[in-house]
Amino acid sequence: MPRPLLLWLLLLPGLFLVPAHPSRAETPAEFFRDRVEPVLRDHCFACHSHASGKMKGGLTLDSRSGWESGGGRGPALIPGDPDQSLLIKAIRRGEAGLRMPPDDPLDPEEAEILVRWVHDGAFDPRTSPPKESPAISTDWWSLRPLVRLAVPHASRAANPVDAFLSEGQRTAGLIGSSPADRRTLIRRLSLDLHGLPPIFDEVAAFVSDDRADAYEQLVERLLASPRYGQRWARHWFDTIHFADSHGFEHDVFRPNAWRFRDYVIQRFNDDVPWHTFVREQLAADVLYPEAQHEWAALGFLGAGTYDHSAAATAPMSFEHLDRDDLVNQVAASFVSSTAQCARCHDHKFDPIPQADYYALQAVFAGIGKGNIPFEPDPEVAARRRTWEQWKHAANPPQPDRLQSVEAVRMVEHWEAGLPSLPQWTPLLPEVFLSAGGAQLQRLPDGSVLSGGTAPEKETLTIITSAPLAKITALRLDVLTDDSLPQRGPGRAMNGNLHLTEFQVQLFRAGEPEPRRLVIARAVADFDQAGWTIQHALDGNPATGWGVNPQEGRNHSAIFELAEPCVLTPQDRLVLSLHQDHGRQHVIGRLSLAVTDGPAGDAVVIPASIAAILAVPANSRTPEQSLALAAWVIQRKAEDELRRLPAPQQLYAAAPVAQNERGTITIATPREIRMLKRGNLEQPGEVIGPGTLSAVTVLPARFSVDSSQPESQRRAALAEWIAHRENPLTWRSIANRVWQYHFGTGLCDTPSDFGRMGGPPSHPELLDWLACEVRDGGGSLKHLHRLICLSDTYRQVSTSRPELVAADPANRLLARMTSQRLDADAYRDAVLLASGRLNNQQEGPAVAHFSSRPGAQLTPYLDYGDFDWNGPQATRRSIYRVVWRGIPDPVFDALDFPDLGLLAPTRGFSASPLQALTLLNNRFVLHHAAHLAKRVQAEAGELPTQIGAAVRHTWQRDPTPDELVQLQALAAGHGLQAVCRLLLASNEFLFVE
Amino acid sequence: MPNAGFTRRDWLHQAGGGFGTLALNAWLQRETFAQSSRPELNGGLHHPAKVKRVIQLFMNGGASPMDLFDYKPELIRLHGQMLGPKEKPEGFTAPAGAVMKSPFEFQQHGETGRWVSSLFPHQAQVVDDLAFLMAMASKTNVHGPASYMQNTGFILPGFPCLGAWISYALGSLADNLPTFVVLPDPRGLPYNQKGNFSAGFLPARHQGTVVDAARQPPIPDLFADPQAYPFATGEADRATIELLQTINRQHARQRPDDTRLEARIAAGELAAKMQLSAPEAFDLTRETQETQAAYGLDQPETADYGRRCLLARRLIERGTRFVQVWSGPQGAANNWDNHGSIPRELPPIAKSVDQPIAALVRDLKARGLFSDTLLIWTTEFGRTPFAQGGDGRDHNRGTFVTWLAGAGIQAGATHGKSDDLGYETAEGKTMCYDLHATILHLLGIDHEKLTFRNAGIDRRLTDVHGHVIEEILA
Repeated sequence: MPRPLLLWLLLLPGLFLVPAHPSRAETPAEFFRDRVEPVLRDHCFACHSHASGKMKGGLTLDSRSGWESGGGRGPALIPGDPDQSLLIKAIRRGEAGLRMPPDDPLDPEEAEILVRWVHDGAFDPRTSPPKESPAISTDWWSLRPLVRLAVPHASRAANPVDAFLSEGQRTAGLIGSSPADRRTLIRRLSLDLHGLPPIFDEVAAFVSDDRADAYEQLVERLLASPRYGQRWARHWFDTIHFADSHGFEHDVFRPNAWRFRDYVIQRFNDDVPWHTFVREQLAADVLYPEAQHEWAALGFLGAGTYDHSAAATAPMSFEHLDRDDLVNQVAASFVSSTAQCARCHDHKFDPIPQADYYALQAVFAGIGKGNIPFEPDPEVAARRRTWEQWKHAANPPQPDRLQSVEAVRMVEHWEAGLPSLPQWTPLLPEVFLSAGGAQLQRLPDGSVLSGGTAPEKETLTIITSAPLAKITALRLDVLTDDSLPQRGPGRAMNGNLHLTEFQVQLFRAGEPEPRRLVIARAVADFDQAGWTIQHALDGNPATGWGVNPQEGRNHSAIFELAEPCVLTPQDRLVLSLHQDHGRQHVIGRLSLAVTDGPAGDAVVIPASIAAILAVPANSRTPEQSLALAAWVIQRKAEDELRRLPAPQQLYAAAPVAQNERGTITIATPREIRMLKRGNLEQPGEVIGPGTLSAVTVLPARFSVDSSQPESQRRAALAEWIAHRENPLTWRSIANRVWQYHFGTGLCDTPSDFGRMGGPPSHPELLDWLACEVRDGGGSLKHLHRLICLSDTYRQVSTSRPELVAADPANRLLARMTSQRLDADAYRDAVLLASGRLNNQQEGPAVAHFSSRPGAQLTPYLDYGDFDWNGPQATRRSIYRVVWRGIPDPVFDALDFPDLGLLAPTRGFSASPLQALTLLNNRFVLHHAAHLAKRVQAEAGELPTQIGAAVRHTWQRDPTPDELVQLQALAAGHGLQAVCRLLLASNEFLFVE
Repeated sequence: MPNAGFTRRDWLHQAGGGFGTLALNAWLQRETFAQSSRPELNGGLHHPAKVKRVIQLFMNGGASPMDLFDYKPELIRLHGQMLGPKEKPEGFTAPAGAVMKSPFEFQQHGETGRWVSSLFPHQAQVVDDLAFLMAMASKTNVHGPASYMQNTGFILPGFPCLGAWISYALGSLADNLPTFVVLPDPRGLPYNQKGNFSAGFLPARHQGTVVDAARQPPIPDLFADPQAYPFATGEADRATIELLQTINRQHARQRPDDTRLEARIAAGELAAKMQLSAPEAFDLTRETQETQAAYGLDQPETADYGRRCLLARRLIERGTRFVQVWSGPQGAANNWDNHGSIPRELPPIAKSVDQPIAALVRDLKARGLFSDTLLIWTTEFGRTPFAQGGDGRDHNRGTFVTWLAGAGIQAGATHGKSDDLGYETAEGKTMCYDLHATILHLLGIDHEKLTFRNAGIDRRLTDVHGHVIEEILA
């Protein structure tokens, strides 16, 4: 039979020819082995098998499950039904866009074998995919270098987006749709860019805007609004599973997580370059040390779940899995990679060896989740940084800085303003008691010496009358003595002491109770590291003042009273000197003095500095000048730092972080080893920090050794991701932006650009868009403009029969795809309709529930019962508390994701329970009532009120028929029933 | 009972004309057999199903095997000896104490001679109907991950649970009740809160519907609050929904190819059906006094769990596919997490479930429901044979007990055994993967073929593991 005729016959459904029919003796297994598989191997495996490393269209044909699950268009075969089987349709080549193999058709005999095989039930013994695949190729669309392609010029389209898309449409024999009307366009744009419908007045204004660039103006206006960031932050939070609670057993609230929310919203509104956004979230602390107010970006590192219980009782597996979660988050969100699949073995489909996965774990081996200090005010941050630097320069003294013009000027200024030095009057102890059992002895100079067996701990009580009529400060001198170890002044083996608390009480003659004198501040001539004089006033018996390593010398501390204290000779001062540290850190010898001099700087000058000040400035030795500068500047720095507002807290991850378990410190990064089969009990070789080797143009291991701070690892990863030559980064973000405009990404698996992900529908367009972001300064708003201004984006969403047939999933975009409002947009749209949306920006997350303590750490939440009319109740959804394990029922019903895992796409559900929620949940009914109240206040007669309610929800006037229907409902059951209906209607829920 | 005064059947009938009927039918088809549940396989997906519905009883906190079903005379001999691990193992909350014998009497029961402790006198009478997995093991000693594991097969959050997978695979049996119902302890949710009932990355409609049996309405938002919102109640509700459906149809008519619009319209019809049927399903007063007493509704200790077991039976009977009945909230008390004292803490929680469970076994059997219903008794891990504190027991992933009963199960069978101390498994070690594979198998599902692609992997309930436990199958 001549070939053309045979091919023609093959095109006829239901007809197949005899020659390939299996002989009676041939079993299905033999037929498959001897005839079917060779055809598949010769003609299909090159693009559809694990061995080739290619799964074009997502399809493999080297196992039964491969064709069963099929590719992007569904199962490749329907056993028993060749005419409906995609594979058979493809080899018959009768359908545009579905012709395989792509170059030459199969021989008729070979085609007939496959048809017969499918007809007879497609027996296939290959129940599992080939286990051992050879090294997986890095020659894969997402890994190829990003090359800016020429915009197809065959097309007449002005916008490059349209030019790329029209190619695909033309190939499939389709043409694009007409532009949508202006109401549809403003609804579409507002929901895409703001997550909110427009109000009716905006619709009306746009509809009647006759400027030539009215649409362009609208796009610009929407992009410039803070609502843009509020919307697009939500997409990022889904992608990285950011929420306000831990998840797991103890699903604890994170009161400081919100700062990251505000940061992301702000950065989207700023249109921060994408590469900067990447760097900030991974390593703002290293890469932007000056911009502390942007360090809220580090909340990214703390976005995921936290298993509090496992952290406490199973720390090894906890840390392993916590890092695993972060690796997954980083790889998926920034570079659309499923690195996590390589935890137990090399990735089965993508070129990700197991070592790469553990290299990524090593990047995060030095951090743990919890609260870290955060400075939101850039000015305060700058001041804090400046004074921290001075403080650092003063101790130990850095001569170059302390001799700088600025330092000298500071010292001069201080000295010029110095009042006369105070006169100190000795206090003579009248009664002195040792609670620790030491033998106390008053020496001739009025000092008290501690002898006998040195107590482990001590409290000295000294009672004295004041020799002055008024005191402003007390001074404690701890003194050396030959009887003390290392000459003291303490009795510890090294001569140190720890004064853990210092208290002064006043017994007024005739008063029954003593009163405590408040000490405003204190200063010592020397503070042991971590044991400052302030620690003697903090009420904590575990902390105190010490003098190590300056034992063997006298030291003094001065305590300035909050208010001057007037005294009579009958009044008694009672001083308590607690020394609770133990190990004989008790005072060996002391004396006390008081002054009535003016409070202020001069009061607290230690003797050594007073001695320098006594020398005229121009006669001082360089050493004296340096010592003075060090002392003055340290004091000044400490004063300035004290005056600054306390730093805020941010939930993130860091080497030192505070959480419910206390301070969690990872002093040096954990050693990361390859784990055989992912099993902690089977560790292999040590792996250093690094990343995916599949991006061959960039080094995959970081030259960061264990002596460097862990932050260098994060910085190195950030630079790898942000690198212009990293093709994954730019493709990933371009695809996400596309997805949130069209409902589906050009690649429909936005966090998986590997072989198990979907193939891009328009790889050239995706690459072109990726180059636009990368070369356009990393601007996402640039991408929004390109997309929104395209004809493609402006098409109607109405389907046409030829589109349903040729492109049911609308990947070719010959029309727009309508979208259902997601949970957040739905709630915000209800609030907007009822006129109650609170536009307040920023600030801590808002609880849309009441809570009471639970059995353990997780509280009970009641979403039905809280202050529905409070101002916070109507904030935008982005500002609500997202409690991982206890979701809001309205959000649950509308497919808000389970943020235990990353959620790069939102689902679509329609269920009776959802219908019930949208009809009966208190949120909906409460706001239906508000909407009714609103339109009653706005408009006069019932029909006008109904018209207003429709305009608030559907952004159009009701048709006469609709008005009649709604009026009848309102007449019988009130306007509120109409409002309830509108808020549950499909027209409200869908945007076209 | 709100809305009890009117019926919606008539208007449903009328409203079902034209487009609505088509949409409803198409959607029902899809809902009822979500994947390709096949009538010729008795509703199975890959092979003939023996089971169509499942009740799972979950003892939250880690029910102590050696104080309930796993008799360990060796503990009596070694009582008081320090034989436990020297270092605190991962997930123990305290270092292991001395070996501790069970403070409860054990006796053999039934024709199978099954050892049962004195804490379960009622279940002891039905042991011959049950098949025991005596060597279950977990990967973790921590409640959160362990509860995830028993429910979803993974120790991390975000994965679909067994009930969600079943809903995804087989759809609903009835269009007027939720497919997957969770009855938590009214004192609180279990560890992981609703994470244990999550649909994970499956479509949200497969998640468990959490029902508070004590609340009206029991299904959240089944009806509007009639006091606060009279405009959404009774006749107003009926008229509003009717017009809503009409207006949604008018809207959809101009957009004929958008199946999502049809799906929402069909869901609206089903919601109305659910409003009609659910109140009856949840009304336990329709049960006889004898039945109520058998489940222990007349005694304060057993009334709550008894009510929920009885409700589970009513739901299953009416077409709910999967019901989970939890015993014990999260936290340090009122559950099976008996760190403080086995003799003080275990008897009350054991008593609260024992009679209701035995009644459920008898009732399912008597009503013929065991012909296609599977009943499972599970917990997230076991407890140590070593004392914690004075006479408590710590978490132990090493070995614990699960039992199954009903359709496809070989009554009286045993699989696996723990070591002499009851610390680790000795024979027939069984993981959640095997249990889940077995449950799916009975439902006519090949656990290796039930997949959903997420983040680059064709995810399964059983990950890359799981063997059907043939030893306990009929």
